[in-house]
Amino acid sequence: MPVFDPTTTAILIVVLLAGALGLAGYLVLSERKIAAWIQDRKGPNRVGPGGLFQPIADGVKMFLKEEVIPAHVDKVFYLLAPIVSVSTALLALAVIPIGPTTPPPPPLPIPSGATPAQLVDQLQRQQAEYQQQTSFVLAPGLDVGILYVFALGSLAVYGVILAGWSSNSKYSLLGCLRASAQIVSYEIPLGLAVLGVILMTGSLNLETIIARQTEHGPYWFILFQPLALLLFMISLYAEDNRLPFDLAEAEQELVGGYHTEYSSMKLGLMLLAEYVHLVISSFLVTVVFLGGWSLFGLEALLGDTALTAGLKVCILCGKMLFLVLFAQVIRWTIPRFRFDQLMNLAWKVLIPLGLLNLACVMVVLQWGLPWVTLTGTSLLLLVGAGYLSTRWQGSVSVPRRKVVPLPPGLPPGVTFAPQH
Amino acid sequence: MPVYVNDKPVELGSQRWNCIQAAQQAGVFIPHYCWHEALSVVASCRMCLVEIGEWKDGKVVMQPKVVPGCQTPVKDGMVIVTGEYDRRDPTLPPLPYDPAYLQAGPPGSRAKKAQADTLEALLLNHPLDCPVCDKAGECLLQDYSFRYGRSTSRMIDPKNTPPNKPHISSKITLFTDRCIMCTRCVRFTREISGTGELCVVRRGHHEEIDVFPGRPLENKLAGNVVDLCPVGALGSKDFLYKQRVWYLHTRDSICSRCSSGCNIYVDSNKDIVYRLRPRYNPQVNGHFMCDDGRYGYHFTHAAERIRRAGLLQQPSTSASNDPDYPMRRWLAWPHLVSRLRQSLQSLGQQPQRRVAVILSPFLTVEEAFLLAKALRSLAPQAQLALGPVPVVGDDDRYPKDVHGRPVEPTRFIIRAEKCPNRRGVETVLRYWTGQVTPAEELLRQSWDALWFAGGYPEAAVVEAALPSHWSAPPLLVVQDLFPSPLTEAATFLFPATSSFEKEGTFINAMGIAQTFPRAVRPLIDARSELQLAHELLERPGLVQAAAVRRELGRAIPELAHLATIDPPAAPERIELATV
Amino acid sequence: MPIPESQVRWVEAPRLGLWEQLYLPAVVEGLKTTVRHLFSPKVTEEYPEQEPKLPPNYRGVHRLNRDEKGRVKCVACYMCATACPAHCIDIVAAPAPPEWQADGREKYPETFVIDELRCIYCGMCEEACPVDAIELTTLYDLTGYTREELIFDKEKLLSVYDYTVQAGTDPIRTQAGRLGPASEPATFRRPTHS
Repeated sequence: MPVFDPTTTAILIVVLLAGALGLAGYLVLSERKIAAWIQDRKGPNRVGPGGLFQPIADGVKMFLKEEVIPAHVDKVFYLLAPIVSVSTALLALAVIPIGPTTPPPPPLPIPSGATPAQLVDQLQRQQAEYQQQTSFVLAPGLDVGILYVFALGSLAVYGVILAGWSSNSKYSLLGCLRASAQIVSYEIPLGLAVLGVILMTGSLNLETIIARQTEHGPYWFILFQPLALLLFMISLYAEDNRLPFDLAEAEQELVGGYHTEYSSMKLGLMLLAEYVHLVISSFLVTVVFLGGWSLFGLEALLGDTALTAGLKVCILCGKMLFLVLFAQVIRWTIPRFRFDQLMNLAWKVLIPLGLLNLACVMVVLQWGLPWVTLTGTSLLLLVGAGYLSTRWQGSVSVPRRKVVPLPPGLPPGVTFAPQH
Repeated sequence: MPVYVNDKPVELGSQRWNCIQAAQQAGVFIPHYCWHEALSVVASCRMCLVEIGEWKDGKVVMQPKVVPGCQTPVKDGMVIVTGEYDRRDPTLPPLPYDPAYLQAGPPGSRAKKAQADTLEALLLNHPLDCPVCDKAGECLLQDYSFRYGRSTSRMIDPKNTPPNKPHISSKITLFTDRCIMCTRCVRFTREISGTGELCVVRRGHHEEIDVFPGRPLENKLAGNVVDLCPVGALGSKDFLYKQRVWYLHTRDSICSRCSSGCNIYVDSNKDIVYRLRPRYNPQVNGHFMCDDGRYGYHFTHAAERIRRAGLLQQPSTSASNDPDYPMRRWLAWPHLVSRLRQSLQSLGQQPQRRVAVILSPFLTVEEAFLLAKALRSLAPQAQLALGPVPVVGDDDRYPKDVHGRPVEPTRFIIRAEKCPNRRGVETVLRYWTGQVTPAEELLRQSWDALWFAGGYPEAAVVEAALPSHWSAPPLLVVQDLFPSPLTEAATFLFPATSSFEKEGTFINAMGIAQTFPRAVRPLIDARSELQLAHELLERPGLVQAAAVRRELGRAIPELAHLATIDPPAAPERIELATV
Repeated sequence: MPIPESQVRWVEAPRLGLWEQLYLPAVVEGLKTTVRHLFSPKVTEEYPEQEPKLPPNYRGVHRLNRDEKGRVKCVACYMCATACPAHCIDIVAAPAPPEWQADGREKYPETFVIDELRCIYCGMCEEACPVDAIELTTLYDLTGYTREELIFDKEKLLSVYDYTVQAGTDPIRTQAGRLGPASEPATFRRPTHS
């Protein structure tokens, strides 16, 4: 699918945006449904069969609600915040592959003695050939792909900060302070986790990363970088303000967090941005760690090109949806962290682990060791971190009073994870 | 030698007291039904059974038999042990009781058992209809059963259920089955009212209170038997089923229906008076009050009462034939008071204009004083007079004989003068004018302005005082409770307050000044006369009767002692068990 | 009041082993629970279509019971109004009609009003009632368009009785068949004392 034509691009933009927005609506429904099911309830089931039209009702509600701009807000930034939130979220969609992709051609070797004209000609041929390839990306061949996504992810925090600051409300301010500290902290393990993969592929281009995982069979990076995947997903949940890291909008403490003062469609945009972030994150995990559109050779079963393309789109989006639903299940599985625990997790656990993991990758690549070694080092790092924790845990550095020491291990009758 | 009550020595001097009174001096309460301070002793209820003894050879030798405390006079050195010996002051050293006595059980156990048995016997035929009994909550049978009785009944036979006798009186009904035959009511009609309507018929378990055929219990003191009844047998028809007694707030007050100034309790709930009860004052009314006063509170909540302050609007010259005029405009108080003050001030600047002020004997001393002061300061030429004094017949003295003639010694007087404070207002008038002019004299003359401070529970008194050819002066200010020709013609009309709705001092026929607090809040648009005078004088802050009392005590030498009367003690609920 | 130091015992947090410190097993365990519930049968009652089954001691709308002659059983003793913590019961008592007095009925409620909106449905009134005249039924769907509509008078409360008797949803307290001590004249109690 050639997307270098402006008309096609425009159409694709519209389709992608509409898809993302519609998906966000239905993610709200699935969020509510999953919440209900996990709590043994039925969930929304009044609008349409099984509540299927609930997103429409919600959207209509959002539009028809009274537009309230509180008197005490800084109006310019207050109105700017949802725009920043949504636009940064949607812009990241540009480089996200949503189906079969072709990696951009490698840089041309410059043979000695070739004339510039020849080189240009060669380049043009290469490009023309590349443009004939199918690529389900809005902006294919962007060599800074992951950087671009991270950059926009970092910009997204401005939406939060603007919202919290301009609202002139203590809840909003506390929410935005938490959000900014949290996002700044978790950017680091996020980057460290993905850096290993980038070193291994040697490219920041998302299509290339998929290609690296599919060229020689299903060599998904989950196999070689399980620890990185763990760090990456934890950091992503923190970046997306999802439970168990939704400190910025902890209802029990902060009412609505940074969007307390927002109403009507402005609130709708804020929530929309969060869901688009979740979708993008899930796409990113799929692309970087889960082999993109590949599924154990299943995608190649259909000979027809068009059908194969469709299948690949389905596989990729299916993986993405699975991750989204997984995040929604996780929401009801793990309780919310305390803020100091959140910071401890980032700075004392995730970042050291990410650095060590990166070092392992560098060592393995430097001496050309097989990638399988990385699987082992990942597991070793995880267990090692756990072991160190058992050594250092529970010691009060400056006890306020005389503390009665307990025997090691859990007290009788208490179990954290019953092993069947 | 002191008398010992539950080991506590108490010096009684030369007083002739019975055991109940002696115990009271020692702070020990002996329960009793039939005994009443004002009535003769019959010792029929057996509730006051106590153990007595005396000192012999350094030991306390107790009588083997319990005796009724009410009937046993106290002698020097007597030792009384009540059923509540185990609740005595533990710090007291126990007396050296005879060991033979202690062998039978701890001191007081015999009296305790006797009292419990007495209560059980009283409850044999007493129905358990406390839920529908008006006495519940202030019932001595309830209180004593709770404190001295047993919690379960052993009675398995049907109880006697004699029929009720609502016919014994127009004001009182008799729930025959609830009676415990203390005969307080019978003795009251024989000894205090002397009319002797009530009697006991039949014998034993079938004893009943009744009246003689054709002679219902209709005397002016009959209502007291309801208060005397320790249980719910005698019920006031006026109060029957109106309120449960635990909802009532009790305030001390003074009856305003005659010049005796009986001390009363006002029982009210949510600012509605539900009943009056006599309050013991040996100098004034003893334990009792008359039915005129007891049932004479209904005017306070009568529908006809003047409820709002208003101004009489005169027709403008162009519309002088308008049938709507003169028309009463209801105005807010502050507005009305300032206009009134202006009118009086303009009169005061013209000394030739004639101003009269009539102060009724229903005003308190404080009100009369402050009103006189306010009007004299606004219009110094004002003449003051005493309002009409209602007098009905002669003083009614009790007890009476069968022919209705009073018998000496007199135990209760219902005064002919049906107002509470003639002497108080007269004192104030004498202070301001040096004499007391009756209102009738002033009303016969023509005036430029007339102020009538009323508060009469019956408008007929006001009507009777008006001459037949009376015409309203140009400025007529009237404060009264009920509509009358005066209020009809009043330029300024203010609602007055009843004696329950204000605080102050009444001076009764015997010259005893009695201060009382406010029992209920006045109607929503009514303010007391004291408040009105306070506002006319443009004094700041809240009006306080005590402050005015100090002021008038300094001004009037005769009432100097009023300045030293403290504000009435905080009202509290009175324990009826001590009646 | 602070707890005295002597009564405070400070203990360390329980120490976790390696398995617990890895956290992932615990997360998996949690996921197992949530996923199991994801597919477990749901307990939602879809209210307007599906009537809830309430226990017979549910405390819903009040009713005023009738005696065996169909008259209001209440004797207007004000015990319920006294016990009521929300002050939602208003009674005006009066002497019973003459024909009632043959049955020993001396007092009856002329009006008996409950403000159902003010009521907190604590059941103190029925506990206080000496003649078991007031009871809370299992009726729960109390609705109205105005506040006045939900101020129930004697007739309305009696009609609730008629309705619940007809519908067979008597409160459990009625089924227990116990009567208060004040209804003693009809059934003489056996001696409980030896």
